[in-house]
Amino acid sequence: MKYIFKRLGFYLIAFVAAVTINFFIPRLMPGDPVQMYMAKLYQTSGKIDAETIAAVEKLFGFNRDQPLIQSYIEYVGNIFSGNWGISFSQFPLTVTEALSRGLNWTMFLMGTSLIISFIINNLLGILAAWKRGSRLDSVLTVGGQLMSNIPAVVLALLVSYTFARSEIFGIFPSGYAVTPLFRPANVMQYIGDVAYHAFLPVSCIVMLQLGGIMGMRANMINQLGEDYIAMGRAKGVPERKLMFSYGARNALLPVVTTFAMQVGFMLGGSLIIEVVFNYPGLGKVMLGALNSRDYPLMQGILLMSTILMLSANFLADMMLLILDPRLRKQGR
Amino acid sequence: MSKLLEVNNLSVDYITLKGAVRAVDNVSFSIEEEQSMGLAGESGCGKSTIAYSLMRLHRPPALIADGSIKLGGREILKMETDELRKFRWEHISMVFQSAMNCLNPVVKLEKQFFEIYKNHGITNNRSEARTLAEELIQIVGIPKERLNDYPHQFSGGMRQRVVIAMALALKPKLLIMDEPTTALDTVVQREILQRVYELKKDLKFSILFITHDLSLMMEFCDNVSIMYAGKLVEQAPSRTILKNPQHPYSYGLKNSFPSLHGEIEYMEGIPGSPLNMSNIPEGCRFQDRCFRAQDICFKVVPPRNHRGNDFYDCHNPMGTLTGSKN
Amino acid sequence: MMTMEKIEKHPLFKFLRDNPKATVGIFLIAMILILTLGAPIFTKFEAGFRSDQYRVAPNGEFILGTTQLGRDVWAQTLYGGRTSLMVGVMAGVIAVTLSTIIGITAGYFGGIVDGIITTIINIAMVIPQIPLLLIIAALMGGVSPLLIGILIGFTSWAWGARVLRSQTMSIRNREFIYSAETLGESKFRRLFAEVMPNMLSMMSSAFVGTIVYAIMAQATLEYIGFGDPLSVTWGTMLYNAQNTAALQTGAWWELLGPCLGLIVLGSGLTLINFSIDELSNPKLKAQRIMAGYYKARKAEKTYAEAGAENE
Repeated sequence: MKYIFKRLGFYLIAFVAAVTINFFIPRLMPGDPVQMYMAKLYQTSGKIDAETIAAVEKLFGFNRDQPLIQSYIEYVGNIFSGNWGISFSQFPLTVTEALSRGLNWTMFLMGTSLIISFIINNLLGILAAWKRGSRLDSVLTVGGQLMSNIPAVVLALLVSYTFARSEIFGIFPSGYAVTPLFRPANVMQYIGDVAYHAFLPVSCIVMLQLGGIMGMRANMINQLGEDYIAMGRAKGVPERKLMFSYGARNALLPVVTTFAMQVGFMLGGSLIIEVVFNYPGLGKVMLGALNSRDYPLMQGILLMSTILMLSANFLADMMLLILDPRLRKQGR
Repeated sequence: MSKLLEVNNLSVDYITLKGAVRAVDNVSFSIEEEQSMGLAGESGCGKSTIAYSLMRLHRPPALIADGSIKLGGREILKMETDELRKFRWEHISMVFQSAMNCLNPVVKLEKQFFEIYKNHGITNNRSEARTLAEELIQIVGIPKERLNDYPHQFSGGMRQRVVIAMALALKPKLLIMDEPTTALDTVVQREILQRVYELKKDLKFSILFITHDLSLMMEFCDNVSIMYAGKLVEQAPSRTILKNPQHPYSYGLKNSFPSLHGEIEYMEGIPGSPLNMSNIPEGCRFQDRCFRAQDICFKVVPPRNHRGNDFYDCHNPMGTLTGSKN
Repeated sequence: MMTMEKIEKHPLFKFLRDNPKATVGIFLIAMILILTLGAPIFTKFEAGFRSDQYRVAPNGEFILGTTQLGRDVWAQTLYGGRTSLMVGVMAGVIAVTLSTIIGITAGYFGGIVDGIITTIINIAMVIPQIPLLLIIAALMGGVSPLLIGILIGFTSWAWGARVLRSQTMSIRNREFIYSAETLGESKFRRLFAEVMPNMLSMMSSAFVGTIVYAIMAQATLEYIGFGDPLSVTWGTMLYNAQNTAALQTGAWWELLGPCLGLIVLGSGLTLINFSIDELSNPKLKAQRIMAGYYKARKAEKTYAEAGAENE
């Protein structure tokens, strides 16, 4: 139990740090975002009076009469009470509303990719470790790592071009999560449509994560050198069971920890992939926000990404607790 | 008593970047039924390698290069995988060096016993297996409720006893004990070994007891084999090695362990350090550290001198010089 | 006179032969370096040159075709590569310097210093880097490649710092450091003269890894539109391709140049990273050991022969 509280405490601190960074970034940037926004506003609606300026400043949290500390505390308070501001580009939606639209699809994409990637990476890692030193091992390790080091942009563009647009292989759709204007007759059709659209993006994300094979492989190799494997073999445990119930089961523990870190990398990559595939997730929201300099929304995205990261970390901590009996209450 | 285990010309190599290093070189010995044989030598001389070979537990880059190992007349090195898997633990089992690490940390003890019974076709029924395990674990003096626990919840001594219980689960004919007590304090050591000795008499199995602690071996084993740098250099009943060792190395080993009784003596060690196995000299392997080395020792491999069932490989043995005043 | 025999026995050649990953990696990088740095040799066009042939497929005159605006893709790839490389290297240098200083300090001094720094590192690791990068870039308007390099350098030191910290801590406890202490050397001197050389391999590995990441992040930033649209880098090429509907009109060659460049560079650097690992830890040459093992098992020869074959 103490363990859980310690972790939660850390995540709280990290979140506050993220909020703080979020607060200070616009203030540290050269140029005054308020001015820039006003310039845009003027172009579109021609209104610039003192009231509007004050309103915009308030939206930003740039209250010039207040001392900085007060603004900061207000800001933190707002964040924690769910008031993340109002989006400029999607006025009058609040930031939270604008985000929630994209959140579902992103969580679906990332969730699916995470599961598939976890399974594939670990299985391949186990295989590579078991056949250590063979050709297969080299191919898997080096290949996986090479795959991971291709920029997400490049992979997404190439895959999109080849499998979505070219004449020969272009069997997949080039964008969106579901076929527009399509009325599925039943749940199965809907699922099918979604899967059809998600296939390429998910494949890209999974391919980019293949570098994780090395992690599992290294853990397996460490475990395989331990005595309990030799004893298991001596006891008559069949090789396959040795690999999974003995080696992999123990090698999984450190993997769960790095799994949380993986989410971070995956997040960055998946946002890009969403952009390339025109997928209506947070990536699209982010692109819109970035292009229209919608600061509240951009900050919202940063905070949302941080929350996703922290949740993944926390989830990993919980899983570790379940999987490793040594972390539970010690002894009798 | 007839021969239970016959090892002939066993050689084991480790493949490295620079080629094959022979860790065990042409070793031959035998163990009779209900006999306990000690295998002594420094760290790295090849004792554990021999133990692993007996059960064919080696994994790359270790390789059994040559030889024959027969248990009860059956040639182990020629067995098929499935046959071998059944053979292990039923006829020959092992207590590994570090009980700390030889149990799967994430599996309850009960299940670890169940695996043994299931994999050898004794029973597929969990409660039957549980009953059998309870009997077994009580033999080594551990309460049967502890079967529900994980390995890390046991103390070192208890873990060792659990491992011994596991090793005896299928009533093997030969029990290998690889440095079973190195990590334990002397009191626990004694208790455990005492128990094993009693069990040996009840269940009638042979023991191969591997250790570098010669004094322990003296009390516990009928016969002792001494290994140096991958070769067996002497084999004799423990009493003989104690009183009248022939090989200078055996003599040095014996004198490195102080006795609790008797007068205070000046301790001798064995000068020098273990041999680098990738650089084996001509002649006797012990040449650099031997206080009885002669010219011939640097040129000719020492011959095997037999004395009944015993032997020693030396050009210039100790002869009838007696050992220390033990 | 260099005969074939002499060449084969030359230590450099032997090194290349024994380390296939390094060889391929070095070859790939060398190719990129030669092509980009020596761009004028390989193309007669300038990067900004505009011809009157819009969006033509690759042909004799334009090796990789032209863009919507009539620019030669091949020339752009070559010259753009220079900028991309420079940004990558700069980001790498900044990130490694930061992670070295932070990581070693934390690991070396321990105690409270370590506690504070570790918390900072953990927080830095938990905040997602690419969204952060994007937001900073957006807030600054478009950013020049130079600035991108600096930004990336300042946001990607966390992981390296953690690794170097644990390395420092394990080295710190080793005996030879204690012996230096008894000889009376100052803490700083010990730090540099003894601790750092041992970590050279980790540091160079981190350096290469960061360059890969930096180049990718740069391309990503520019693709989204936050690079300097007037500059020519691989990322901006992708941005332009996207914005001029290259994908939709089937102009695959516009993508090919920058994509190939990025892939080749990334792969080359990754392979080099692998070989750095292998060189510093020869036990990783598992494959060659295993090859020897299988040979010895299958062959009925004596083992002395099998061993000799491995030389």
